[in-house]
Amino acid sequence: MGFGAGIGVTSNPISYRLAFGAYEDALRMVGVTSEPRVAGTVVSAARIQMFAATVQDANPSYWDADFATRTWGGLLAPPALLMGWLIPLPWEPGGRPPGAAIALRVPLPGTTIVNAANEAEFPLPVVDGDRLTIVEEVVSVSPEKRSKLGVGHFIETLDTFTRQDGAVVATNRNTLFRFTPPATMQSAAMRRSGG
Amino acid sequence: MSLRGDVVIRWEEVSVPTELPEVRDEISYQRVVMNSGSTWDYTPVHFDPYYAEKQGHPGIFVNTMHIAGFADRIATDWAGPCSRVVRRKMRLAGSIYAGDTMVGRARVVAKPAPGLVELQIDVVNQRDELCCPVELTLQLPG
Repeated sequence: MGFGAGIGVTSNPISYRLAFGAYEDALRMVGVTSEPRVAGTVVSAARIQMFAATVQDANPSYWDADFATRTWGGLLAPPALLMGWLIPLPWEPGGRPPGAAIALRVPLPGTTIVNAANEAEFPLPVVDGDRLTIVEEVVSVSPEKRSKLGVGHFIETLDTFTRQDGAVVATNRNTLFRFTPPATMQSAAMRRSGG
Repeated sequence: MSLRGDVVIRWEEVSVPTELPEVRDEISYQRVVMNSGSTWDYTPVHFDPYYAEKQGHPGIFVNTMHIAGFADRIATDWAGPCSRVVRRKMRLAGSIYAGDTMVGRARVVAKPAPGLVELQIDVVNQRDELCCPVELTLQLPG
């Protein structure tokens, strides 16, 4: 795929994976597009309803199969769960490490991430039984910025989601802040937790 | 063939501006745990309070998908289940932590094209701090 090679991808003790490097390394990934990645599982009623229960949404599009089939062609995938269909489970058989989102594979010094902005469009409904494929692109990486959380870089990515017939069902433009928290916060937290 | 909340708002009937009723949702520890479980987002700040503190947070917090789902719920509860979210733009200005109350204040701000309604939804916490301004476009049945 061209990226990842030669970059020190570190598996941190808490299971999600960040690539580390300098800003110049990150800039080399701008414009890089990932190979299509197919969701490991299809859109399912169980996950639709687990999410609807999480946000306590009684919309019958998520719960009433008859209504949803007449209206959308099947139980509707909550638009808000879009990114979730392509997040791999944290463990898979055979010790195969779960693939990280492209934004996490942009090499930078920051030790952690927080989401900054998101803009999604949903040209077509996604329904129970659909299998989604994602193509991810790194759109930009900002110079170093300071926010209230710490110093770091903003990474903008554009995801395109297609379903099994090739139709584009959604696009997702996301901005992630990759930063290092100030040392004072870390030591204060460690004191509180006795660490 | 139940159709709970069979409110159906038609595009022609919507006037701009319209204030929607405020929605409040108490985010318990369980809800934040359900958030990781349902979205498969196991970034540690969403489930590990010790990790979250080390990152400068007071505790674990819900992810972007959860806040998006709250905004979508406010929009489609108002417009009815035949409406669909076709666009949503959000800025994560602050976090909703376990123990917080998520409050949504929404209003109709535009009818950009036939069938489409634009909402501005401000998601604030119990201290009235703006956590996430959302612009959302709904497609309504014609």
